[in-house]
Amino acid sequence: MLKWFKQLDKILRGDATRIPSLAEGRFTTPVAGLSVAIVLLGVLYGLCAGTFAMIRTGGEAYMQMIASAIKLPMLFFLTLAVTFPSLYVFNALIGTRLSVISALRLLIAALGVMLAVLASLGPIVVFFALSTKSYPFMVLLNVATGTVAGVLGLGFLLRTLDRLVIVQEDIEISNFEASLKNSQSEEKESRKIEPTGALDRMGKVTTRKAKSVFRIWTIVFALVGAQMSWVLRPFIGCPTAPFEWFRERESNFFIAVLQSLASLFSL
Amino acid sequence: MLLQAEYVLRARPWAVEDDRTAKKLAQLGLLIAVFGIMYGAVMGSFGGVFGERFWQVVFSAVKVPFLLIGTFALSLPSFFVVNTLFGLRSDFSYSLRALLATQAGLTIVLASFAPFTVLWYVSFSNYRGAILFNTFMFGSASITAQWLLRRFYEPLIRRNRRHRTLMRAWLVIYAFVGIQMAWVLRPFIGSPYAPTQFFRQDAWGNAYVRLANIILSLIGG
Repeated sequence: MLKWFKQLDKILRGDATRIPSLAEGRFTTPVAGLSVAIVLLGVLYGLCAGTFAMIRTGGEAYMQMIASAIKLPMLFFLTLAVTFPSLYVFNALIGTRLSVISALRLLIAALGVMLAVLASLGPIVVFFALSTKSYPFMVLLNVATGTVAGVLGLGFLLRTLDRLVIVQEDIEISNFEASLKNSQSEEKESRKIEPTGALDRMGKVTTRKAKSVFRIWTIVFALVGAQMSWVLRPFIGCPTAPFEWFRERESNFFIAVLQSLASLFSL
Repeated sequence: MLLQAEYVLRARPWAVEDDRTAKKLAQLGLLIAVFGIMYGAVMGSFGGVFGERFWQVVFSAVKVPFLLIGTFALSLPSFFVVNTLFGLRSDFSYSLRALLATQAGLTIVLASFAPFTVLWYVSFSNYRGAILFNTFMFGSASITAQWLLRRFYEPLIRRNRRHRTLMRAWLVIYAFVGIQMAWVLRPFIGSPYAPTQFFRQDAWGNAYVRLANIILSLIGG
């Protein structure tokens, strides 16, 4: 178990995503153990989020804590499952060298970052759950912790993807130089290399495209994650509503957050 | 011990040097406890120090260090993860000592304000005035402590400019948790109209919700 958390620690410290580790444009950190660490951290934060119901309603409210502890890791893996196919397709379309396995590993690493941040905010959430009666406040606090975790996790993802693109460019340049040498040694026998004009962009086009695609994709991931958290609700447990595993299909995440804000200021 | 306190105030490298981390953390914790208890006791003496009211002095004396150390403990995990994520793990033990030394500095400054508080209590009997005065003392001590934190953090920031951002992030988290912690741990001063209690019966409220309501009622909502 310590080994799994050591892997997570390596990712957090950035050892796993230094340029030399990414050579050949692949992300090689093993993720099986890491996934277990992610689930454990998710269970931990789920317990923290469910604490509010425990304090307020008593009795069978421990069910809320159990339900939150089960649902919180699900939230992250389901978000991953929904967004992964499109990321992979676009990633292949713009021609980065990231294989399916590498892309998946990278995303799980990003989840690891998110959950480490989220779980580290757990004590603060428990403290507020123990001392607060206001349900909208707890909702907004959890939205805030989720946002911090999401921003840092996706920031990690973008930086790593940028690094992968740099690595890829280096590989392309060295290939280009190699082919240039070959063609010189073969006395320009073949003119496979297109003559480039003074104004032609070299290499950078893919880089820019890749970056914008990844940026858009992180927004998609954030939106899906937010809505997924709404679909899987309740995590906190409204003190006036009975315990349920899932709630009826209604409204959406963003309207609910606005409503919470409104009711916080109108009490 | 007074020598240690002076080292902290002068931001000597004593508090943040590399050797014997654990021992220094313990010494800093002791400083926080001793000086926190000192100011807390004075703070709780508003309603008098005899009979029933004596307990308010004891409660406040316990609660001030608890407020600081509790807030510190709750904020630390997220600060640790974020530091790691920004690649500053190798400096973390230094940061930890700098933060704890700042807390110690805060309590020392507070304790040095204690005579003012005594004078205020002797001069004025208005409870609201006492609250305002203590808020002012805590505010001044916090501003001084922040200045101390900057001095402790200077070498770190020189080494890596990200430390500046993280120091600000720390102040935000710490203030967010600290305000609620102070609210939950009421009463510190002890209203002369209320019985002496460790916690208020209705204390489990939320400072931010109350604040939102007050602002709203001021606007006229």
